Amino acid sequence: MKETDINGTVDKNARETAEEGELDPREAAALIRQTERQAQRELDLAAPPWLAALLAGVVFVGFGALWLSVRGQHPYKGPSGWALWVAFGAVVVVIAAAAFYLKHARAGVSGRSSRRDLAIGATVLTTYILMGVFQGALKKAGASHAIVDGIFPATAPLLAVGCVGAAIQAARENWPGFGAAIALAVIACISAFAGPINVWLFMGVGLFLSIVGYAVATAWLRRA
Amino acid sequence: MSTETLDPLIHVPARLRIIVTLAALPVGDALSFTRLQNMIGLTPGNLGMHLKKIEDAGYLSSEKVINGVASRTSVALTSRGRAALDAYLEALRDVLGAIDAAPLPPSRSVKRT
Repeated sequence: MKETDINGTVDKNARETAEEGELDPREAAALIRQTERQAQRELDLAAPPWLAALLAGVVFVGFGALWLSVRGQHPYKGPSGWALWVAFGAVVVVIAAAAFYLKHARAGVSGRSSRRDLAIGATVLTTYILMGVFQGALKKAGASHAIVDGIFPATAPLLAVGCVGAAIQAARENWPGFGAAIALAVIACISAFAGPINVWLFMGVGLFLSIVGYAVATAWLRRA
Repeated sequence: MSTETLDPLIHVPARLRIIVTLAALPVGDALSFTRLQNMIGLTPGNLGMHLKKIEDAGYLSSEKVINGVASRTSVALTSRGRAALDAYLEALRDVLGAIDAAPLPPSRSVKRT
């Protein structure tokens, strides 16, 4: 009689190959290490080094374009249209790369963490929307271009995302991610003192270095 | 100390890989049969037989969702399965510790074939 398995398929040879030979304890330990490493690499949602490196490059280009467009402005008016398009393009590239990676990593995975990740994504999106609304309130209250179109949009959203991200990464015990998120918040806070023009440069360089640091730490931990 | 202290249901290469892979998922998550098969590299029938044995022991839960003509089976480790893996790892550490502490028998230098 043919026997069906958990997936409802029939395999006549399965019975013969299902049981395997004696497993040496040392071989078992090596197999566990190898399998754990493979599973974590394939199922881990933390940004892999290649995605972090891409993010670092895109952040550098985006903030670099914004800084170039405001450099030499007296009085300060804010980033020009072409620089905003470059920055939006950079954001689109990052979102597309992250979506591609998440689609691969989440393939076949269902359950509680999918809902949790959706909630995290919605939180980040809400943060950016609320920061935009808050920016409007600052403008309405008569704040200068230097604040409304410079220091605030360059630093405030990333300061909030950095703090929220640090809490999320700490809960996941992803320590390179925690370090990168804390660095993001600190860089955003310190860069605010650089003024409306140089804040873009400080943010670009600071974020580039912290993301590269994250990529190096993650690659080193995965190799260890 | 002998390998008799190791859970015989887990102490088989294919099942050990299946359980360790499923344990890498966060609690409350499940993995589709197809993705697990791609990761483990067993034939569907062979993987299914191992999963059935693990499920019969209460270490695994499975859910089959039928969507029109297509069906999708997802599997997840139960809390009992995670506890069994923890106990297996503890026992394996003891066995390895006992092996390292014991004097080397002469046959140990012979290469395994």
